[in-house]
Amino acid sequence: MAIDREKIKKQALADFSEYLGPMKARTMKSAGLDIIEDKRDGASIWDLTGKKYIDCQTGSGIMNVGRHNREIVQALKDALDTYDIGVFLLCSKQKADLAKKLAEITPGDLKCTIFGTGGGEANDAAIKLARGYTMKKEIIYAEKAYHGHTGFALSAIGRDAYKEPFEPLIPGFKMVPFGNAQAIRDAFTKDTAAVILEPIQGEGGINLPPEGYLQEIRKLCDEHGALLILDEIQTGFARTGKMFASEHWGVVPDIMTVAKSLGGGIYPISATIFKEELMDFFIPHPFIHLSTFGGSDLGCLVGLAVIEYIQKNHLADHAAKMGDRFRAGFDRFLKDYPALLLEVRQKGLMMGLQYTNSSIGPRLTKKLAERGVIAVYTGNDPTICRFMPPLVITPEEVDFVLNALEDSMKELSKVSGIGKND
Amino acid sequence: MATKENILEALADYQVQCNNNARLRRMQRDWSRLIHFFTEDTGDYFTMDVVKGEIVSYEAGVKGTPDIIVTTLSENLCDMFWGDLNPSQKYLDGLIKVKATQEDIMRLDAITMIIWPDV
Repeated sequence: MAIDREKIKKQALADFSEYLGPMKARTMKSAGLDIIEDKRDGASIWDLTGKKYIDCQTGSGIMNVGRHNREIVQALKDALDTYDIGVFLLCSKQKADLAKKLAEITPGDLKCTIFGTGGGEANDAAIKLARGYTMKKEIIYAEKAYHGHTGFALSAIGRDAYKEPFEPLIPGFKMVPFGNAQAIRDAFTKDTAAVILEPIQGEGGINLPPEGYLQEIRKLCDEHGALLILDEIQTGFARTGKMFASEHWGVVPDIMTVAKSLGGGIYPISATIFKEELMDFFIPHPFIHLSTFGGSDLGCLVGLAVIEYIQKNHLADHAAKMGDRFRAGFDRFLKDYPALLLEVRQKGLMMGLQYTNSSIGPRLTKKLAERGVIAVYTGNDPTICRFMPPLVITPEEVDFVLNALEDSMKELSKVSGIGKND
Repeated sequence: MATKENILEALADYQVQCNNNARLRRMQRDWSRLIHFFTEDTGDYFTMDVVKGEIVSYEAGVKGTPDIIVTTLSENLCDMFWGDLNPSQKYLDGLIKVKATQEDIMRLDAITMIIWPDV
Protein backbone atom coordinates (compact mmCIF):
# COMPACT_ATOMS: atom_id res chain seq x y z
CA MET A 1 0.00 0.00 0.00
CA ALA A 2 1.41 3.37 -0.99
CA ILE A 3 2.29 5.70 1.85
CA ASP A 4 0.34 8.96 1.73
CA ARG A 5 3.27 11.28 2.41
CA GLU A 6 1.17 14.43 2.04
CA LYS A 7 -1.10 13.17 4.79
CA ILE A 8 1.81 12.24 7.08
CA LYS A 9 3.36 15.66 6.52
CA LYS A 10 0.12 17.48 7.21
CA GLN A 11 -0.34 15.56 10.45
CA ALA A 12 3.28 16.16 11.50
CA LEU A 13 2.90 19.90 10.93
CA ALA A 14 -0.39 19.95 12.83
CA ASP A 15 1.15 18.02 15.74
CA PHE A 16 4.20 20.28 15.72
CA SER A 17 1.94 23.29 15.87
CA GLU A 18 -0.11 21.84 18.71
CA TYR A 19 2.63 20.34 20.85
CA LEU A 20 5.75 22.38 20.07
CA GLY A 21 4.87 25.81 18.81
CA PRO A 22 1.95 27.23 16.83
CA MET A 23 3.69 30.48 15.99
CA LYS A 24 6.84 28.74 14.81
CA ALA A 25 4.80 26.43 12.58
CA ARG A 26 2.81 29.38 11.25
CA THR A 27 5.91 31.44 10.53
CA MET A 28 7.59 28.56 8.71
CA LYS A 29 4.46 28.05 6.62
CA SER A 30 4.24 31.71 5.72
CA ALA A 31 7.90 31.69 4.66
CA GLY A 32 7.40 28.61 2.47
CA LEU A 33 9.55 26.62 4.89
CA ASP A 34 6.88 24.23 6.15
CA ILE A 35 9.26 21.42 5.35
CA ILE A 36 9.40 18.11 7.16
CA GLU A 37 12.91 16.84 6.59
CA ASP A 38 13.06 13.28 5.35
CA LYS A 39 16.12 12.03 3.45
CA ARG A 40 19.34 14.03 3.87
CA ASP A 41 22.52 13.67 1.83
CA GLY A 42 25.48 15.93 1.10
CA ALA A 43 24.22 19.47 0.60
CA SER A 44 20.62 18.36 0.09
CA ILE A 45 17.55 17.42 2.03
CA TRP A 46 14.27 16.05 0.80
CA ASP A 47 10.90 17.03 2.19
CA LEU A 48 8.55 14.18 3.13
CA THR A 49 6.70 14.84 -0.10
CA GLY A 50 9.90 14.27 -2.09
CA LYS A 51 10.79 17.87 -2.94
CA LYS A 52 14.56 18.42 -2.90
CA TYR A 53 16.25 21.44 -1.35
CA ILE A 54 19.85 22.62 -1.15
CA ASP A 55 20.37 23.41 2.51
CA CYS A 56 22.09 26.76 2.92
CA GLN A 57 20.87 27.16 6.49
CA THR A 58 22.30 23.99 8.10
CA GLY A 59 21.25 25.01 11.59
CA SER A 60 23.67 27.95 11.23
CA GLY A 61 26.66 25.76 10.56
CA ILE A 62 26.02 22.37 12.11
CA MET A 63 26.48 20.40 8.92
CA ASN A 64 29.96 21.26 7.66
CA VAL A 65 30.64 17.63 6.72
CA GLY A 66 27.31 17.42 4.87
CA ARG A 67 23.87 16.17 5.75
CA HIS A 68 23.79 12.61 7.11
CA ASN A 69 27.44 12.04 6.32
CA ARG A 70 27.76 8.27 6.01
CA GLU A 71 31.28 8.08 7.42
CA ILE A 72 30.19 9.91 10.56
CA VAL A 73 27.06 7.79 10.82
CA GLN A 74 29.22 4.68 10.55
CA ALA A 75 31.55 5.97 13.28
CA LEU A 76 28.56 6.37 15.58
CA LYS A 77 27.20 2.93 14.65
CA ASP A 78 30.57 1.36 15.39
CA ALA A 79 30.76 3.18 18.70
CA LEU A 80 27.30 2.00 19.67
CA ASP A 81 28.38 -1.62 19.25
CA THR A 82 30.58 -1.23 22.33
CA TYR A 83 29.90 2.00 24.16
CA ASP A 84 27.19 4.13 25.66
CA ILE A 85 27.58 7.77 26.68
CA GLY A 86 29.88 6.88 29.56
CA VAL A 87 29.80 8.13 33.14
CA PHE A 88 30.82 11.76 33.30
CA LEU A 89 32.52 11.38 36.63
CA LEU A 90 35.06 8.84 35.37
CA CYS A 91 38.08 9.43 33.17
CA SER A 92 37.51 8.39 29.58
CA LYS A 93 39.82 7.42 26.73
CA GLN A 94 37.40 8.87 24.19
CA LYS A 95 37.35 12.25 25.95
CA ALA A 96 41.13 12.21 26.24
CA ASP A 97 41.55 11.35 22.56
CA LEU A 98 39.27 14.14 21.36
CA ALA A 99 40.74 16.71 23.76
CA LYS A 100 44.23 15.81 22.51
CA LYS A 101 43.07 16.14 18.90
CA LEU A 102 41.47 19.53 19.61
CA ALA A 103 44.76 20.70 21.15
CA GLU A 104 46.50 19.62 17.94
CA ILE A 105 44.19 21.40 15.51
CA THR A 106 43.41 24.62 17.38
CA PRO A 107 45.82 27.54 16.92
CA GLY A 108 48.69 28.43 19.21
CA ASP A 109 48.92 27.04 22.69
CA LEU A 110 45.26 26.20 23.26
CA LYS A 111 45.47 22.86 24.97
CA CYS A 112 42.91 21.86 27.59
CA THR A 113 39.21 21.19 27.15
CA ILE A 114 35.89 21.22 28.97
CA PHE A 115 33.24 19.32 27.04
CA GLY A 116 29.58 20.20 26.81
CA THR A 117 26.58 19.40 24.68
CA GLY A 118 25.88 22.69 22.92
CA GLY A 119 27.23 26.13 22.13
CA GLY A 120 25.51 27.98 24.97
CA GLU A 121 26.94 25.52 27.47
CA ALA A 122 30.41 25.94 25.95
CA ASN A 123 30.20 29.73 26.32
CA ASP A 124 28.83 29.43 29.85
CA ALA A 125 31.86 27.36 30.73
CA ALA A 126 34.18 29.87 29.04
CA ILE A 127 32.76 32.82 30.98
CA LYS A 128 32.78 30.89 34.26
CA LEU A 129 36.40 29.92 33.66
CA ALA A 130 37.33 33.52 32.83
CA ARG A 131 35.73 34.83 36.01
CA GLY A 132 37.08 32.00 38.12
CA TYR A 133 40.62 32.23 36.81
CA THR A 134 40.97 36.02 36.81
CA MET A 135 38.86 36.55 39.96
CA LYS A 136 37.34 39.51 38.11
CA LYS A 137 33.71 40.01 37.22
CA GLU A 138 33.21 42.10 34.10
CA ILE A 139 32.62 40.62 30.68
CA ILE A 140 32.73 42.79 27.55
CA TYR A 141 30.65 41.60 24.61
CA ALA A 142 29.51 43.01 21.27
CA GLU A 143 26.28 44.44 19.91
CA LYS A 144 24.42 41.88 17.77
CA ALA A 145 26.56 39.12 19.29
CA TYR A 146 25.10 35.67 19.62
CA HIS A 147 26.54 33.20 22.13
CA GLY A 148 23.55 31.01 23.03
CA HIS A 149 20.48 31.09 25.23
CA THR A 150 21.81 29.67 28.49
CA GLY A 151 22.57 31.73 31.61
CA PHE A 152 25.97 33.34 31.12
CA ALA A 153 25.78 33.14 27.34
CA LEU A 154 22.37 34.86 27.28
CA SER A 155 23.81 37.75 29.25
CA ALA A 156 26.33 38.21 26.42
CA ILE A 157 23.81 38.22 23.57
CA GLY A 158 23.70 41.57 21.80
CA ARG A 159 19.99 41.67 21.17
CA ASP A 160 17.52 42.94 23.78
CA ALA A 161 14.55 40.96 22.50
CA TYR A 162 16.19 37.70 23.59
CA LYS A 163 16.93 39.04 27.05
CA GLU A 164 14.31 41.49 28.26
CA PRO A 165 11.61 39.03 29.38
CA PHE A 166 14.13 37.22 31.59
CA GLU A 167 15.74 40.13 33.36
CA PRO A 168 17.48 40.56 35.69
CA LEU A 169 20.25 38.62 33.98
CA ILE A 170 23.73 37.97 35.29
CA PRO A 171 25.33 41.31 36.25
CA GLY A 172 28.70 42.58 35.08
CA PHE A 173 28.18 42.38 31.31
CA LYS A 174 29.05 45.41 29.15
CA MET A 175 27.99 45.74 25.53
CA VAL A 176 30.12 47.60 22.96
CA PRO A 177 29.80 48.01 19.17
CA PHE A 178 31.41 45.21 17.18
CA GLY A 179 34.47 46.22 15.21
CA ASN A 180 35.30 49.26 17.34
CA ALA A 181 38.52 48.66 19.26
CA GLN A 182 38.32 52.06 20.95
CA ALA A 183 34.95 51.14 22.46
CA ILE A 184 36.50 48.05 24.00
CA ARG A 185 39.49 50.06 25.20
CA ASP A 186 37.07 52.47 26.89
CA ALA A 187 35.06 49.64 28.43
CA PHE A 188 38.01 48.02 30.20
CA THR A 189 38.30 48.45 33.96
CA LYS A 190 40.47 46.81 36.58
CA ASP A 191 37.64 44.32 37.04
CA THR A 192 37.41 43.14 33.41
CA ALA A 193 37.67 39.36 33.32
CA ALA A 194 37.26 38.81 29.58
CA VAL A 195 36.19 40.01 26.19
CA ILE A 196 33.98 37.55 24.34
CA LEU A 197 33.59 37.88 20.57
CA GLU A 198 32.74 35.89 17.52
CA PRO A 199 35.61 36.39 15.03
CA ILE A 200 32.88 36.84 12.42
CA GLN A 201 29.42 37.56 13.78
CA GLY A 202 26.94 34.99 12.53
CA GLU A 203 23.47 35.92 13.82
CA GLY A 204 24.57 39.54 13.84
CA GLY A 205 24.66 39.49 10.05
CA ILE A 206 27.97 37.92 8.93
CA ASN A 207 29.89 40.91 10.26
CA LEU A 208 33.57 40.61 9.44
CA PRO A 209 36.01 42.31 11.79
CA PRO A 210 37.81 45.35 10.42
CA GLU A 211 41.46 44.73 9.58
CA GLY A 212 43.58 44.75 12.71
CA TYR A 213 40.58 44.65 15.07
CA LEU A 214 41.06 41.20 16.57
CA GLN A 215 44.80 41.75 16.90
CA GLU A 216 44.11 45.00 18.74
CA ILE A 217 41.66 43.32 21.11
CA ARG A 218 44.22 40.59 21.78
CA LYS A 219 46.73 43.28 22.71
CA LEU A 220 44.25 45.14 24.93
CA CYS A 221 43.36 41.95 26.79
CA ASP A 222 47.03 41.28 27.45
CA GLU A 223 47.60 44.83 28.66
CA HIS A 224 44.66 44.64 31.08
CA GLY A 225 45.22 41.09 32.32
CA ALA A 226 41.91 40.02 30.83
CA LEU A 227 41.17 36.92 28.78
CA LEU A 228 40.07 36.82 25.16
CA ILE A 229 37.29 34.35 24.45
CA LEU A 230 36.62 33.65 20.77
CA ASP A 231 33.36 31.91 19.98
CA GLU A 232 34.06 29.80 16.89
CA ILE A 233 30.79 27.91 17.12
CA GLN A 234 29.60 29.00 13.67
CA THR A 235 32.97 29.85 12.17
CA GLY A 236 34.93 26.77 13.23
CA PHE A 237 35.79 23.53 11.47
CA ALA A 238 36.77 24.85 8.04
CA ARG A 239 33.66 26.99 7.47
CA THR A 240 35.65 30.10 6.51
CA GLY A 241 38.39 28.43 4.49
CA LYS A 242 40.66 27.74 7.46
CA MET A 243 40.07 25.29 10.28
CA PHE A 244 39.23 28.22 12.57
CA ALA A 245 38.37 31.76 11.52
CA SER A 246 40.74 33.35 14.02
CA GLU A 247 43.60 31.89 11.95
CA HIS A 248 42.82 34.40 9.18
CA TRP A 249 44.02 37.14 11.50
CA GLY A 250 46.68 35.17 13.37
CA VAL A 251 44.98 35.72 16.72
CA VAL A 252 45.13 33.07 19.43
CA PRO A 253 42.48 33.48 22.11
CA ASP A 254 42.87 32.34 25.70
CA ILE A 255 39.65 30.39 25.38
CA MET A 256 37.96 29.14 22.22
CA THR A 257 34.48 27.65 22.10
CA VAL A 258 33.31 25.21 19.45
CA ALA A 259 30.12 23.20 19.01
CA LYS A 260 27.75 22.76 16.04
CA SER A 261 29.89 21.06 13.39
CA LEU A 262 32.02 19.20 15.93
CA GLY A 263 29.06 16.81 16.14
CA GLY A 264 28.76 16.53 12.37
CA GLY A 265 24.99 16.92 12.61
CA ILE A 266 24.94 13.42 14.07
CA TYR A 267 25.61 13.75 17.79
CA PRO A 268 25.55 16.87 20.00
CA ILE A 269 28.87 17.88 21.51
CA SER A 270 30.67 21.13 22.30
CA ALA A 271 34.05 22.08 23.67
CA THR A 272 35.62 24.96 25.56
CA ILE A 273 39.31 24.85 24.74
CA PHE A 274 41.74 26.92 26.78
CA LYS A 275 45.39 27.60 27.48
CA GLU A 276 47.12 25.34 29.94
CA GLU A 277 47.75 28.06 32.51
CA LEU A 278 43.98 28.47 32.96
CA MET A 279 43.83 24.87 34.18
CA ASP A 280 45.16 26.25 37.46
CA PHE A 281 41.61 27.29 38.25
CA PHE A 282 40.36 23.70 38.04
CA ILE A 283 43.19 22.08 40.00
CA PRO A 284 41.75 23.02 43.38
CA HIS A 285 38.19 22.74 41.96
CA PRO A 286 38.13 19.63 39.74
CA PHE A 287 34.37 19.14 40.10
CA ILE A 288 33.21 22.77 39.98
CA HIS A 289 31.86 22.57 36.41
CA LEU A 290 30.21 19.31 35.35
CA SER A 291 28.05 18.21 32.44
CA THR A 292 26.18 14.92 32.54
CA PHE A 293 26.05 14.48 28.79
CA GLY A 294 28.90 16.80 27.81
CA GLY A 295 31.64 15.04 25.88
CA SER A 296 29.94 11.68 26.05
CA ASP A 297 32.07 8.80 24.79
CA LEU A 298 29.79 8.53 21.73
CA GLY A 299 30.02 12.24 21.03
CA CYS A 300 33.80 12.23 21.34
CA LEU A 301 34.12 9.41 18.81
CA VAL A 302 31.85 11.33 16.46
CA GLY A 303 33.96 14.46 16.98
CA LEU A 304 37.13 12.56 16.13
CA ALA A 305 35.50 11.19 12.98
CA VAL A 306 34.36 14.68 11.97
CA ILE A 307 37.84 16.17 12.35
CA GLU A 308 39.37 13.28 10.43
CA TYR A 309 36.82 13.75 7.64
CA ILE A 310 37.47 17.50 7.40
CA GLN A 311 41.24 16.99 7.24
CA LYS A 312 41.17 13.98 4.89
CA ASN A 313 38.90 15.73 2.42
CA HIS A 314 40.62 19.14 2.65
CA LEU A 315 37.29 20.81 3.39
CA ALA A 316 38.92 24.12 4.32
CA ASP A 317 40.41 24.44 0.83
CA HIS A 318 37.15 23.30 -0.75
CA ALA A 319 35.20 25.87 1.29
CA ALA A 320 37.53 28.61 0.03
CA LYS A 321 37.09 27.49 -3.60
CA MET A 322 33.33 27.15 -3.41
CA GLY A 323 33.23 30.50 -1.61
CA ASP A 324 35.02 32.07 -4.58
CA ARG A 325 32.47 30.52 -6.94
CA PHE A 326 29.63 31.99 -4.91
CA ARG A 327 31.42 35.33 -4.82
CA ALA A 328 31.61 35.58 -8.59
CA GLY A 329 27.82 35.20 -8.76
CA PHE A 330 27.19 37.59 -5.88
CA ASP A 331 29.38 40.25 -7.47
CA ARG A 332 27.34 40.02 -10.64
CA PHE A 333 24.10 40.35 -8.66
CA LEU A 334 25.44 43.45 -6.92
CA LYS A 335 25.71 45.09 -10.34
CA ASP A 336 22.46 43.73 -11.75
CA TYR A 337 20.18 44.22 -8.74
CA PRO A 338 21.30 47.38 -6.92
CA ALA A 339 17.74 48.07 -5.74
CA LEU A 340 17.78 44.77 -3.83
CA LEU A 341 21.37 44.09 -2.87
CA LEU A 342 23.66 46.42 -0.95
CA GLU A 343 26.63 44.33 0.06
CA VAL A 344 28.17 40.86 0.19
CA ARG A 345 29.82 39.75 3.43
CA GLN A 346 31.85 36.62 3.11
CA LYS A 347 34.70 34.49 4.32
CA GLY A 348 34.79 31.10 2.60
CA LEU A 349 31.36 29.53 2.91
CA MET A 350 30.20 31.86 5.66
CA MET A 351 28.23 34.25 3.51
CA GLY A 352 25.70 37.00 3.97
CA LEU A 353 23.88 39.14 1.48
CA GLN A 354 22.77 42.50 2.75
CA TYR A 355 19.51 43.56 1.19
CA THR A 356 18.40 47.14 0.83
CA ASN A 357 15.68 46.75 3.47
CA SER A 358 14.43 44.27 6.01
CA SER A 359 11.33 43.19 4.06
CA ILE A 360 13.38 41.77 1.21
CA GLY A 361 15.07 39.07 3.29
CA PRO A 362 11.89 37.25 4.32
CA ARG A 363 10.45 37.59 0.80
CA LEU A 364 13.55 36.20 -0.86
CA THR A 365 13.59 33.35 1.65
CA LYS A 366 10.12 32.39 0.44
CA LYS A 367 11.04 32.68 -3.23
CA LEU A 368 14.21 30.65 -2.71
CA ALA A 369 12.23 27.92 -0.94
CA GLU A 370 9.89 27.72 -3.93
CA ARG A 371 12.99 27.10 -6.06
CA GLY A 372 14.48 24.45 -3.79
CA VAL A 373 16.93 26.45 -1.68
CA ILE A 374 16.74 26.95 2.08
CA ALA A 375 18.34 30.24 3.13
CA VAL A 376 17.09 32.38 5.99
CA TYR A 377 17.87 35.87 7.19
CA THR A 378 20.01 36.19 10.32
CA GLY A 379 18.38 36.33 13.73
CA ASN A 380 19.89 39.61 14.88
CA ASP A 381 19.70 41.43 11.54
CA PRO A 382 16.84 40.64 9.12
CA THR A 383 18.39 42.69 6.33
CA ILE A 384 21.04 39.99 5.99
CA CYS A 385 20.33 36.65 4.36
CA ARG A 386 22.78 34.03 5.53
CA PHE A 387 24.15 31.33 3.25
CA MET A 388 26.03 28.59 5.12
CA PRO A 389 25.77 25.44 3.00
CA PRO A 390 27.52 22.21 3.90
CA LEU A 391 31.21 22.43 2.98
CA VAL A 392 30.82 19.39 0.74
CA ILE A 393 28.67 21.42 -1.66
CA THR A 394 29.63 20.77 -5.29
CA PRO A 395 30.24 23.38 -8.02
CA GLU A 396 26.98 22.28 -9.70
CA GLU A 397 25.08 22.81 -6.46
CA VAL A 398 26.64 26.26 -6.03
CA ASP A 399 25.41 27.13 -9.51
CA PHE A 400 21.95 25.81 -8.66
CA VAL A 401 21.78 28.11 -5.63
CA LEU A 402 23.02 31.10 -7.64
CA ASN A 403 20.46 30.44 -10.38
CA ALA A 404 17.67 30.18 -7.82
CA LEU A 405 18.83 33.41 -6.23
CA GLU A 406 19.00 35.22 -9.54
CA ASP A 407 15.53 34.00 -10.57
CA SER A 408 14.15 35.08 -7.21
CA MET A 409 15.72 38.53 -7.42
CA LYS A 410 14.59 38.92 -11.00
CA GLU A 411 11.02 38.18 -9.95
CA LEU A 412 11.18 40.42 -6.92
CA SER A 413 12.72 43.30 -8.82
CA LYS A 414 9.68 43.35 -11.09
CA VAL A 415 7.57 44.43 -8.13
CA SER A 416 7.13 48.14 -8.59
CA GLY A 417 8.81 50.40 -6.11
CA ILE A 418 10.81 47.73 -4.31
CA GLY A 419 14.06 48.91 -2.90
CA LYS A 420 15.30 51.34 -0.36
CA ASN A 421 11.97 53.06 0.12
CA ASP A 422 9.91 49.87 0.24
CA MET B 1 -11.59 49.34 -2.48
CA ALA B 2 -12.68 50.03 1.10
CA THR B 3 -13.78 53.41 2.35
CA LYS B 4 -12.51 55.15 5.44
CA GLU B 5 -15.81 54.30 7.12
CA ASN B 6 -15.42 50.61 6.22
CA ILE B 7 -11.97 50.57 7.79
CA LEU B 8 -13.09 52.36 10.94
CA GLU B 9 -15.90 49.84 11.27
CA ALA B 10 -13.41 46.98 10.88
CA LEU B 11 -11.08 48.64 13.40
CA ALA B 12 -13.93 48.88 15.90
CA ASP B 13 -14.54 45.18 15.57
CA TYR B 14 -10.80 44.44 15.80
CA GLN B 15 -10.59 46.43 19.02
CA VAL B 16 -13.43 44.45 20.57
CA GLN B 17 -11.96 41.13 19.43
CA CYS B 18 -8.52 41.99 20.81
CA ASN B 19 -9.57 43.58 24.07
CA ASN B 20 -12.08 40.89 24.94
CA ASN B 21 -9.66 38.05 24.33
CA ALA B 22 -8.20 37.25 27.74
CA ARG B 23 -5.52 34.94 26.34
CA LEU B 24 -4.35 37.60 23.90
CA ARG B 25 -4.33 40.31 26.54
CA ARG B 26 -2.23 38.14 28.84
CA MET B 27 0.14 37.30 26.01
CA GLN B 28 0.58 40.91 24.89
CA ARG B 29 0.64 42.54 28.33
CA ASP B 30 4.25 43.66 27.84
CA TRP B 31 3.53 45.20 24.42
CA SER B 32 2.80 48.91 23.97
CA ARG B 33 3.05 50.40 20.50
CA LEU B 34 1.73 53.31 18.46
CA ILE B 35 0.82 51.98 15.03
CA HIS B 36 0.15 53.95 11.86
CA PHE B 37 -1.77 52.38 8.99
CA PHE B 38 -1.64 53.83 5.51
CA THR B 39 -3.86 52.81 2.60
CA GLU B 40 -1.87 53.36 -0.57
CA ASP B 41 -4.90 53.28 -2.93
CA THR B 42 -7.10 55.74 -1.04
CA GLY B 43 -4.40 57.74 0.77
CA ASP B 44 -5.98 57.39 4.20
CA TYR B 45 -4.13 57.22 7.49
CA PHE B 46 -5.19 55.61 10.75
CA THR B 47 -3.57 55.52 14.16
CA MET B 48 -3.93 52.77 16.73
CA ASP B 49 -2.59 53.04 20.26
CA VAL B 50 -1.83 49.77 22.03
CA VAL B 51 -0.96 50.01 25.71
CA LYS B 52 0.07 46.84 27.53
CA GLY B 53 -1.76 44.74 24.99
CA GLU B 54 -4.99 46.76 25.10
CA ILE B 55 -6.11 48.79 22.10
CA VAL B 56 -6.89 51.96 24.00
CA SER B 57 -7.76 54.05 20.96
CA TYR B 58 -7.95 54.16 17.19
CA GLU B 59 -8.78 57.01 14.91
CA ALA B 60 -8.52 58.26 11.35
CA GLY B 61 -5.49 60.41 10.69
CA VAL B 62 -1.96 60.50 11.99
CA LYS B 63 -1.11 60.97 15.66
CA GLY B 64 2.28 60.84 17.35
CA THR B 65 5.47 59.10 16.30
CA PRO B 66 4.77 55.53 15.28
CA ASP B 67 6.65 52.44 16.40
CA ILE B 68 5.16 50.52 13.49
CA ILE B 69 3.95 51.63 10.05
CA VAL B 70 1.74 49.31 8.04
CA THR B 71 1.11 50.15 4.38
CA THR B 72 -1.27 48.25 2.14
CA LEU B 73 -4.41 48.52 0.01
CA SER B 74 -7.57 49.59 1.80
CA GLU B 75 -9.22 46.26 1.05
CA ASN B 76 -6.31 44.35 2.62
CA LEU B 77 -6.44 46.53 5.71
CA CYS B 78 -10.14 45.85 6.11
CA ASP B 79 -9.62 42.13 5.58
CA MET B 80 -6.82 42.11 8.15
CA PHE B 81 -9.06 43.71 10.78
CA TRP B 82 -11.94 41.39 9.93
CA GLY B 83 -9.64 38.36 10.14
CA ASP B 84 -10.10 37.50 6.49
CA LEU B 85 -6.42 37.38 5.56
CA ASN B 86 -3.15 36.09 6.96
CA PRO B 87 -1.02 39.23 7.46
CA SER B 88 2.24 37.31 7.59
CA GLN B 89 1.61 35.67 4.23
CA LYS B 90 0.59 38.96 2.65
CA TYR B 91 3.72 40.55 4.11
CA LEU B 92 5.90 37.85 2.57
CA ASP B 93 4.08 38.28 -0.73
CA GLY B 94 4.88 41.98 -0.57
CA LEU B 95 1.22 42.99 -0.42
CA ILE B 96 1.50 44.38 3.08
CA LYS B 97 4.56 46.47 3.90
CA VAL B 98 5.55 46.83 7.51
CA LYS B 99 8.20 49.09 8.93
CA ALA B 100 8.92 47.55 12.30
CA THR B 101 11.22 45.20 14.11
CA GLN B 102 10.91 41.49 13.37
CA GLU B 103 9.56 41.03 16.90
CA ASP B 104 6.77 43.53 16.25
CA ILE B 105 5.91 41.98 12.89
CA MET B 106 5.62 38.64 14.69
CA ARG B 107 3.41 40.22 17.36
CA LEU B 108 1.00 41.56 14.75
CA ASP B 109 0.75 38.12 13.20
CA ALA B 110 0.31 36.52 16.63
CA ILE B 111 -2.78 38.68 17.22
CA THR B 112 -4.42 37.24 14.10
CA MET B 113 -3.39 33.71 15.03
CA ILE B 114 -4.97 33.93 18.46
CA ILE B 115 -8.21 35.57 17.36
CA TRP B 116 -8.63 33.71 14.08
CA PRO B 117 -6.55 30.50 14.35
CA ASP B 118 -7.74 29.21 10.99
CA VAL B 119 -6.63 32.24 8.99
